[in-house]
Amino acid sequence: MGLIKNIKSYSEGIQISAEKREILTSFLSNGFPTTKDEEWKYTSLKKVIANEYSIENKGEIIDSSIIEKYSLGLKNKIIFSDGKLINTPIIKGVNINDFSEFESANTDSILQLNKALSQNGFTISVEKNTVLESPIEILFFSTTVNGFSQYRNQISIGENSEVKFIERLQNLNNSASFVNHFTQINCAKNTKVEYNKIQNNTAESQLIDTMNVYQEQDSTCNINTLIFGGSFIRNNLNFEQNGSNCESNMNGVSILNNNQLADNHTFVDHKSAHCRSNEMYKGVYLDNSKGVFNGKIMVRPDAQKIDAFQSNNNLLLSDTSSIDSKPQLEIYADDVKCSHGCTIGQLDDDALFYMRSRGIGIEEAKAVLTYAFASEAIENISVEQVKTLAKKLLAKKLNVDLDFSL
Amino acid sequence: MLQIKELKAGIEGNQILKGINLEVNAGEIHAIMGPNGSGKSTLSAVIAGKEEYEVEGGTISFDGKNLLELDPEERAHNGIFLSFQYPVEIPGISVSNFIKTSITEKRKAQGLQTLPTKDLLKMMREKMELLSIKKGYLSRNMNEGFSGGEKKRNEIFQMAMLEPKLAILDETDSGLDIDALRIVANGVNKLRTGDNATIVITHYQRLLDYIVPDFVHVLHNGRIIKSGGKELALELEEKGYDWITKEADKKWA
Ligand SMILES: Nc1ncnc2c1ncn2[C@@H]1O[C@H](COP(=O)(O)OP(=O)(O)OP(=O)(O)O)[C@@H](O)[C@H]1O
Ligand SMILES: [Mg+2]
Repeated sequence: MGLIKNIKSYSEGIQISAEKREILTSFLSNGFPTTKDEEWKYTSLKKVIANEYSIENKGEIIDSSIIEKYSLGLKNKIIFSDGKLINTPIIKGVNINDFSEFESANTDSILQLNKALSQNGFTISVEKNTVLESPIEILFFSTTVNGFSQYRNQISIGENSEVKFIERLQNLNNSASFVNHFTQINCAKNTKVEYNKIQNNTAESQLIDTMNVYQEQDSTCNINTLIFGGSFIRNNLNFEQNGSNCESNMNGVSILNNNQLADNHTFVDHKSAHCRSNEMYKGVYLDNSKGVFNGKIMVRPDAQKIDAFQSNNNLLLSDTSSIDSKPQLEIYADDVKCSHGCTIGQLDDDALFYMRSRGIGIEEAKAVLTYAFASEAIENISVEQVKTLAKKLLAKKLNVDLDFSL
Repeated sequence: MLQIKELKAGIEGNQILKGINLEVNAGEIHAIMGPNGSGKSTLSAVIAGKEEYEVEGGTISFDGKNLLELDPEERAHNGIFLSFQYPVEIPGISVSNFIKTSITEKRKAQGLQTLPTKDLLKMMREKMELLSIKKGYLSRNMNEGFSGGEKKRNEIFQMAMLEPKLAILDETDSGLDIDALRIVANGVNKLRTGDNATIVITHYQRLLDYIVPDFVHVLHNGRIIKSGGKELALELEEKGYDWITKEADKKWA
């Protein structure tokens, strides 16, 4: 037993509170979820946790040229190196601090593990009435070979504030790292939040990312997930709407090749009336890649006048790629508009021929059509730099040299 | 320029083209007419290289090259352009971006340098003016939500940008209003040189008043059953197809 053994021996050598020790004990007796778990039916952690990991990080110094390479060039940067916070921007109305303890709903053993042992992450609190023009970029670098890291991040957005974030986890070696990432966002009344996740880590990297978003009335929260790199990615994205007129938006784009696996599990808990949720996940699968989508929408008995929209569209570009897609609607209110749709298709032959007949080579034509397929979700992103990066990564992934800007 | 000999092609064992012979030289305009389902669009698709159709026999040579060995994009690079009877919608990619990609690819294949954006935009403006196309349309998604006539005009716009040697216009006139027909025909005429050629597929004599053909061919049941000068189109307009198709059916029965 690779990782479990590593965790055991690591935890024996550290001091943690009795409460955490108890949570850890509970985790150790539960272990990681298996495919017998309904929530992990199509995604097996077996290989991920069979590896040996090094849990203690070294915290090396990172060259500024490396930071530049992976940054989108925004002026507000939060930077971690092997769990150590090495840069915090100074922004009026925004308090940025290192890791701090906070309560969370430890719904699964992965979050238990995170709660018990994580000591790294950021704590951001945005004061009331703060509207940030420039997004905050958050970079997590890792230099540890076969490192297992756990981050535990918290964001609180004060009333009437508007903030955008861009997050990126980046390995600086090609080893099989594994990150258990957890972020909790509390959106107070009348806030607007956009959080962009650029999941383009090294080929062997592995990630479980859990995000819990709690929204109060009149708040809008957009989470955009762009998956390009990494061998194993599981995203758990959970929204809880606790006031009227909330809006939760999710856009996801996965472009996978080789043996990549990406699993997007989303959950919107509509607890209040007059709220909306929109989710659009687009997946493109090449080679032996595999996608999983599970979109759960719960509308509680008192949550009338809910508008919930969900779509999961997939392109399978090889015979050996696959997607398991499952909508899960639980609706206990009667005045609700809820629609969902899942498509699985190939590129349109007529469109391909049309483009080729105009001199566009088959690879480029495929890339353009793939881009066109994914663009609907990409266009919903409001940060220009993220959009541009997404287009670039897409072209790169499909091995074409396309200039999308004219 | 284009030589088609005894071309036989079909789909899933179903022969549609049953032995086509056609020669098109530089500077010429050929009109192909014929009843619905006679194989006109199939012929154009086979020339353009649609892989769905299986070529069962015969040859197509273009400027001395064996066209049937080339991919659709290579045919385009060699100067073949097909204006689609039903242009395809490509969501998510703007007209300008599409045309830019298409021109860049063609130039790359021809060993030419990428056209600077400035020059490309200038060229687009000129061609748009020629075809009375409104400016805002460049940023719209390719054919998405375009009216029938707008799609056809967009085809000719691309043709004007790509400057092909051989343009095949498959029912470009259907869907165009009278003014648009005149504008498009005028555009096609202006783009004519002694070095290029056009094949016009149409059901209506009216287009041929504007784009005057040197030859008119009647395609029926996968064969060219009659060829003549521009007066043949007038005759067809007056008498319909019956008088020649009946005879042909007897011959090939
Ligand atoms: N992809 C296809 N699959 C099956 N049948 C086809 C296909 N393409 C063409 N055909 C058949 O081949 C015949 C010729 O079709 P084609 O589209 O070439 O006719 P056309 O002369 O262009 O007709 P129209 O004047 O209506 O445009 C028709 O019977 C048509 O149904
Ligand atoms: Mg036709």
